[in-house]
Amino acid sequence: MADRYSFSLTTFSPSGKLVQIEYALNAVNQGVTALGIKATNGIVLATEKKSSSPLADPSSLSKISLITPNIGMVYSGMGPDYRVLVDKARKVSHTGYKRIYNEYPPTRILVQDVARVMQEATQSGGVRPYGVSLLIAGWDEGILPEEDEEKEAEEGAGGDEKKKPSGKTGGILKGGPMLYQVDPSGSYFPWKATAIGKSATTAKTFLEKRYTEGLELEDAVHIALLTLKETIEGEMNGETIEIGIVGPPADHLLGVEGVEGARGPRFRKLTPQEIEDYLTNL
Amino acid sequence: MVGKDCVAIACDLRLGLQALTVSNNFPKIFQYGDNVFLGLTGLATDLSTVSDLFRYKVNMYRLREERNIAPKTFANLVSSSLYEKRFGPYFVSPVVAGLDPKTSKPFICGFDSIGCIDFAADFIVSGTATDQLYGMCESLWEPNLAPEDLFETISQALMSAVDRDALSGWGAHVYIIEKDKVTKRLLKGRQD
Amino acid sequence: MDTLVARYSRPAYHENEAFSEEERQGLVDSVPSLSLKFAMPPVAHPSAWLRAATDDRSNPSCPIKIAHGTTTLAFRFQGGIIVATDSRATAGNWIASQTVKKVIEINSDLLGTMAGGAADCQYWLAWLGMQCRLHELRHKRRISVAAASKILANLVYQYKGMGLSMGTMCAGVTKEEGPALYYIDSDGTRLAGNLFCVGSGQTFAYGVLDAEYRYDLSVEEALELGSRSILAATHRDAYSGGFINLYHVKESGWEKHGFSDTNPIFWKTKLEKGEFSNVTSDLSERV
Repeated sequence: MADRYSFSLTTFSPSGKLVQIEYALNAVNQGVTALGIKATNGIVLATEKKSSSPLADPSSLSKISLITPNIGMVYSGMGPDYRVLVDKARKVSHTGYKRIYNEYPPTRILVQDVARVMQEATQSGGVRPYGVSLLIAGWDEGILPEEDEEKEAEEGAGGDEKKKPSGKTGGILKGGPMLYQVDPSGSYFPWKATAIGKSATTAKTFLEKRYTEGLELEDAVHIALLTLKETIEGEMNGETIEIGIVGPPADHLLGVEGVEGARGPRFRKLTPQEIEDYLTNL
Repeated sequence: MVGKDCVAIACDLRLGLQALTVSNNFPKIFQYGDNVFLGLTGLATDLSTVSDLFRYKVNMYRLREERNIAPKTFANLVSSSLYEKRFGPYFVSPVVAGLDPKTSKPFICGFDSIGCIDFAADFIVSGTATDQLYGMCESLWEPNLAPEDLFETISQALMSAVDRDALSGWGAHVYIIEKDKVTKRLLKGRQD
Repeated sequence: MDTLVARYSRPAYHENEAFSEEERQGLVDSVPSLSLKFAMPPVAHPSAWLRAATDDRSNPSCPIKIAHGTTTLAFRFQGGIIVATDSRATAGNWIASQTVKKVIEINSDLLGTMAGGAADCQYWLAWLGMQCRLHELRHKRRISVAAASKILANLVYQYKGMGLSMGTMCAGVTKEEGPALYYIDSDGTRLAGNLFCVGSGQTFAYGVLDAEYRYDLSVEEALELGSRSILAATHRDAYSGGFINLYHVKESGWEKHGFSDTNPIFWKTKLEKGEFSNVTSDLSERV
């Protein structure tokens, strides 16, 4: 054994590194690329759905998950580790928040909770770090008074196209979209747009070129697909691409009608048909 | 008590041990943010324990979330915290009053000692003079009271109610909460 | 002799007593016997049953809450006797009245005070008034305070254990006795004394009264002291309050010195004399 600091208990090497975490990042960097772009009125998460065999049923595979009605998550790295984290994130959003305050956690709070889970795996005995990086996208309701409520109402209705960029920049106070990346070490960063996985560097360079301030959600989906196109290995269609968006409340997903004040989830996954539609317009 | 773009919360000042009046300066209203107020009635020792507990919880919330707690969120926090002690409750019946920071809409609610929330659109009462307060509020309260009228209404209701309760009175505090103003007044009540 | 034995060995309460006999005896006897017939609840132990239903001290959720809670005081001094009371009646924590007259004017020179069960006091002191008047008619002179108080003491003793609740004082001035003050309660206690406070607020009243009391108090001082003692009790005792009822009993009979609201008196005492500094009158004031 060449390296005494390579076993599952995360132990500092004399140079101050935790090599297990670096190995975990290596696992992430071999993973399928995933990306996220924040727009003024929403966020898009996108990734490639690669199946190992043409016999696999792609409709059963899902890499983008809903955590709370307003928060979704995608990963790059080890699929099984990701599913554990999705379960834990969903659970902690209830035990650590909804059951206390009777509302869902703001994005940053959920990110911190998930990051804590991942950090604990770097400091506990008998465990290994999670082999995934996450992109977590969510919409916060905010607590500051609405500066221009009519404008927001229009956006909520989703009809008008001549919208100006709203004052929402995300965050707990003003409310709006927030996009975070969480790494195996448990560190997390807010982004306007980013990518993780195998082609993260290429994708980020591409995003840097295409990203503009005041981006609309529709444009963001467009850019996301273009970025994926740069890095994708297989064919691009509704079956091989997965997209999740945070946008206006999707009241059609509520399951009930006529309940006053009830809003649908802001996070939803696009159907293969919707993705195909975007692809044809590319 | 709810008014037009304002809420009011008031309490008497007595601390007693059965018939013995121990203190006549024992306020029962606590502030947990610009627009969030908690009124507590019940066992005095639980009053200070519970008010300190929420001071701690709200401070932790503020540090963690870098924002002030909203009245509705606080009300749910009170509810879940009280239910944690389902089989050995705090002997308090809290009242929450405040203005929603986003919409500036009045918010009031009351609880039983194990956290069942009673949302109300008009008024919430609690304590030994509950029956009297219900009678006064039912007759004096009306919708859309302006801040000064709300002050008059809540004060008259409280003073008249405690004057018919042996265990309440000895002065009162009244808070009128408006969008960017909170007015606190002392009422000099009967001292018997 | 037989009648005497029969009278004293008769059970205190009996259902099928001949009413006319009772009434006749009540009217002619100098020592009053159990002169009225009370309907008894049809249960094995009426007094225990009544206690369970009405004693809110041992059982706060008892179905019937009897009005009580009081501060009364009376003291002898060189100028006669001062009698002072509050005026609050409570049933549980409910303030049933703030304007109760707790001094009962038995006749023009005899006063009784009420503490305990309001109905018990009211009823039996009225009854005592009747007995005193009968005594006066029979003997062509006013009854002594000692005798009057003994009539009441004997009466309540007959009902001992049945749930009567009274703590009263009889105050009067007669030529033979001078100023005389007696304390009688429903246990059967009867005490002569210089100074008594009775009721839930008695300790608070004693506190002020004992500190300032002297036998050679002037009438003015004595009235003020009586009033101030009641004020202190109304402030600290939840079950006392309302108005201060003040009487001065002297040789020529009693004289009433007002029935005054405690509220203005309290604030006057606080603001003018600087007393009651425990009470806040300003938000910025630190106590």
